[in-house]
Amino acid sequence: MNNQSINLSIGNGATACYTVPVGPVHPALKEPIRFEFKLSGERIVGVDIKPGFAHRGIEYMGMRRNLIQTLYLSERICGICSISHPLAFTQAVENAAGIEVPPRAQYIRTIIGELERIHSHLLWAGVGAHELGFDSLLHVTWNVREKCMDLLEQLTGNRVDYAIPIFGGVRRDIPTEKAHLAYEAIDYYRNLLEKMLDLYLHDKSVEMRTQNVGVLPYADAVALCAAGPTTRASGVKKDVRQDMPYLAYADMDIHAITPEDYGKAAVGDVFDNIVVRLLEVAQSIDIIEFCLENMPEGELTSIPKVPALLATLQKAEGEGIGRHEAPRGEVFHYVRLEAGREPPAVWKVKAPTYSNLMGWVPKFMGDEIADIPIIAASIDPCMCCMDRVHLVDGEGNETVRAKQELITLSREKTRRICG
Amino acid sequence: MIPETILSSFRDALGQALLDEKTIERSVGTRTPQAVYDVWITVDRDAFHQAVEHLCTNFAPHLSVISGDDLEDTLALNYHFSVGWGEPYGEITFTVRTNVPKTDLRIPTITDILPGAQTSEREKQEFYGIAVEGIPDGRNLFLPEDMTIHPWRLDLQEETSKSVKRLVKWETRDE
Repeated sequence: MNNQSINLSIGNGATACYTVPVGPVHPALKEPIRFEFKLSGERIVGVDIKPGFAHRGIEYMGMRRNLIQTLYLSERICGICSISHPLAFTQAVENAAGIEVPPRAQYIRTIIGELERIHSHLLWAGVGAHELGFDSLLHVTWNVREKCMDLLEQLTGNRVDYAIPIFGGVRRDIPTEKAHLAYEAIDYYRNLLEKMLDLYLHDKSVEMRTQNVGVLPYADAVALCAAGPTTRASGVKKDVRQDMPYLAYADMDIHAITPEDYGKAAVGDVFDNIVVRLLEVAQSIDIIEFCLENMPEGELTSIPKVPALLATLQKAEGEGIGRHEAPRGEVFHYVRLEAGREPPAVWKVKAPTYSNLMGWVPKFMGDEIADIPIIAASIDPCMCCMDRVHLVDGEGNETVRAKQELITLSREKTRRICG
Repeated sequence: MIPETILSSFRDALGQALLDEKTIERSVGTRTPQAVYDVWITVDRDAFHQAVEHLCTNFAPHLSVISGDDLEDTLALNYHFSVGWGEPYGEITFTVRTNVPKTDLRIPTITDILPGAQTSEREKQEFYGIAVEGIPDGRNLFLPEDMTIHPWRLDLQEETSKSVKRLVKWETRDE
């Protein structure tokens, strides 16, 4: 018997590629997406990404509704970015129709936008800790996140989908008697910050699992048009709030946060993603404080009556771009309005994960299977709820099966097993 | 970035192929208002690839997304770039528009210049039925692989609504 006959040829074994599918439904993923990893041993040598499991045709629907209905639809694109999309969408429509926004409304929009950043980054940090198997840190982080959710509920009435922006202003004020709640939250998070930085960044196991894992080099981040903390972790100083200010950000000096602000060189790994997001929480606290202290007096909206607003919008003609730096990166809305037509003629939405999708490929390459969950989580992906399932039969034919059909199949199986 | 800098550079580089240009100035800030700019140019399809190449060689753009606009006989594609990022008030949005006739739905890929455009190009292929020539990976991205309708095309709405109705009927059927 020689080595070849019992297939001990080490060379072939080492270079053989295996394909491991992850998703669309997988414990490591919070939302549906399918990865097909090509592996050489434990190393990832290729990845194919298939999104679309949560595609609900929102732009198609939006182009068949009036603009105010579409505004509420835009709020429901994502449960976490439920102010980011309306902020970008209202700006796009206001730019297209030439509607002014009163200063006080701009400040209120900014405050809610920054509160969303705080809770989104804390949510992400908790998920990150969970993916590393550090569940006590997850519980601590999500516990302190509740303070922000409570404040949002006290200010707007809702934990998500705040329904604050309307074309030309905001729908609700932040009255003086409620401002102290916001100040309380600011103090709470300021006192916590040192502790959070210590827990996340000075922990040996976090360091070992995240440093030099899931690296997105500077050049790749630029060439692949990545956005948000994902690109800033690679040292790219890109932030819409800094580059092309809008709302109350135009009254402040915002600078894009990179790992250099923490005194370390930017590598673009998962650790740098944590650094950037935690420092951005601190930045958001400062922004909220500035807005509360310098809140201008005045109107909440330039066109308070909804019928008048709809009539103005129906007469409007033109195109506009609205951008907002959401927690995950740049949200971009393009709108073209036609006079006499209620729905937008064109509505294009770009969410941050759309930009960061391709950035996943260099991040995964060369890392190990066990790193898949944390690398997948590192860009803070957002695919939203799944509405259909892809199944592949033995011949590789792909079909789409509705939810009901799967439930039926599941019930049949239960009956079969129970005899 | 000053709009005139980039526009004059494009006038020199493209000449007659630069069909239209407009600059929208907006005022931001409630205390000391400052100007920000949205710049739009329309280029001939034959010079489109050259225009993007010129942009990428000289201005290090970021591509936000490509949007499409169905105008009956033509399909307008808007490539929403932004240039000058990295410093306060340094950025302007720069949209390169090109009109593609419905009878000849083709556009060259720009992934050879800016690899990050691939996601958006794949999306335009499936939703508008336009052929992006030379795209490294042309499979459907968001829609299922076997889906052949192009939902954002206004001239194919009948087909789309049939398909949507079929899907709704299927998903809500009572068993």
